[in-house]
Amino acid sequence: MAATSGAARHEYGDASGLAPAATAAAAVQPPSIEADHISASYHVKIDNDNLRDDLRRLFRRADSGGRLIPALRDVSFDVQKGSVLAVIGRNGAGKSTLCRVILGTLPPDEGRVVVRGRMNMLAPGLGFSEALTGRENITLGGLANGLSPARLAEITEEIGEFSQLSSYLDLPMRSYSSGMRMRLSSSIAVFLDPEILLIDEALTGGDAAFTEHIAERTAQLTGEGRTIVIVSHGLQSVKSMATEVLWLHQGRVAEFGDPDDVVAKYMRYCRIESLNLSDV
Amino acid sequence: MDRSDVSDRPGPVRRIRDIWIYRELLENLVRKELKVKYKNSALGFVWSLLNPMLYLAVFYVVFTVFLKSSIPSFPIFLLAGLLPYNLFSAGLGGGTSSIVGNVGLVGKVWFPREILPLASIGAAMVHFALQLLVLAAALVVFWFEPSWSYLPLLIPAMIVLLVLVASLAIALSAINVYARDTQHLLELVLLAWFWMTPIVYPYAQVSTTSIGNLALLNPLTPIVITFQRALWGNPIVGIATGKGGSKPLHALPDASQWWYLRNLGIVAAVSVGLVFFAFWIFGRLEDDFAENI
Repeated sequence: MAATSGAARHEYGDASGLAPAATAAAAVQPPSIEADHISASYHVKIDNDNLRDDLRRLFRRADSGGRLIPALRDVSFDVQKGSVLAVIGRNGAGKSTLCRVILGTLPPDEGRVVVRGRMNMLAPGLGFSEALTGRENITLGGLANGLSPARLAEITEEIGEFSQLSSYLDLPMRSYSSGMRMRLSSSIAVFLDPEILLIDEALTGGDAAFTEHIAERTAQLTGEGRTIVIVSHGLQSVKSMATEVLWLHQGRVAEFGDPDDVVAKYMRYCRIESLNLSDV
Repeated sequence: MDRSDVSDRPGPVRRIRDIWIYRELLENLVRKELKVKYKNSALGFVWSLLNPMLYLAVFYVVFTVFLKSSIPSFPIFLLAGLLPYNLFSAGLGGGTSSIVGNVGLVGKVWFPREILPLASIGAAMVHFALQLLVLAAALVVFWFEPSWSYLPLLIPAMIVLLVLVASLAIALSAINVYARDTQHLLELVLLAWFWMTPIVYPYAQVSTTSIGNLALLNPLTPIVITFQRALWGNPIVGIATGKGGSKPLHALPDASQWWYLRNLGIVAAVSVGLVFFAFWIFGRLEDDFAENI
């Protein structure tokens, strides 16, 4: 574990370190998300039944028989309030890790991330427990996302209607099809009323009509000045929705900026890659 | 949740505050755990009443009928020690596998994940409350009078027990993600722990042996004997001396409330130290939970 960088990070501990810059340009609102030179890695245990490695793992991060995956290196970007950032890149480029860093479930090894506003992630299968009913899962997911019980009571019916699952809400989750699960989890995230919504590959699941349904609601959220970060493979939807695109390549920022520009470069790169592949 | 600097690793105080902010989630997870445990079971909560009653029946036959132990009001004595042990064992056992058992929540959303082992302890507390009903029924049936002047000690004893089990459960739940041996090893450790704690035999049986001075090193012992002293009293019983004989002695230390309180205080101090250790190790390990469940 990088203890030194850990200490450095704590120096930034309170967000007030940013205040001078923010007050200097009082008219400009601070960005919703600020990522400042973040590097992140995670550790995967290679399946073993080796107690010695397990013990090592507890006390030293490296050298434990598992693998330390450096997923993000020196990534910096800002997301302004009300904008839509699309994150693109090939499989394993670090997109999902970036989501986790923004979400706060994976603190970076170096650098700093500041998030201003309530944030929720739209993730397939969020916290679903098979034995609980749809309604109980909504409650659990909502509370885990920091919602108050009073607010949850208000939105549960709405979530049921939006996901077209009203008549199934009192059935246990194990009786749901995968499409129904998808619809429920997407609807929960949308109704959590986030100031910042994180979407990871979500548009790829669920049926076409529902995808449109979600896209509509997402557009509505942007209209209300909400910030959206979306990890996507659908380049068409990226171009139409995003105000900025971040292209990650092997954990680094390859390009960041105007959607048409970045997507064009990315497509050119993909074509070259596929040519190389077909040559082999 | 509104958290500005998400790259920060919170210290123990922040962690405790975060748990407080998410207390409604904790409550809901306790309810979920109770529901999942007894789903599709006809008797449901009756099972948590049957557990101490079955123990009682078995130990009564073995100790009073077979081994001719002469502990007066054996049911009260046994339940007074068994109930806090059951809370400890159920909370620690459930807590240890709680992170591994909640794949859906871990990694997809940020929340203080110590809540998961704490929810197992919450569920164990509900069972404990139900089992207290069995004990209360026993007190009434046998028209048994507890030691009123020692009864207030149950409050600190309970608090110490909860802090102890919480710290151990938080630490073990994180360790168990990486070393699944933990949950299997724990079953054996808990079995040994049960017999090493004076629950089915009186404390004097241990304290009069050559290693008697070590008896209080078991952190459960001060808690269990406090429960016994308050609920069962401190009669003179025949303590086996080894040469087939026995001599009459007080079953528990014949000491004031302060002696019991002092011992609880020592366990409390150790437990608070353990809490900091638990948060430290949990914070170290939680980053990679999602990849390793």
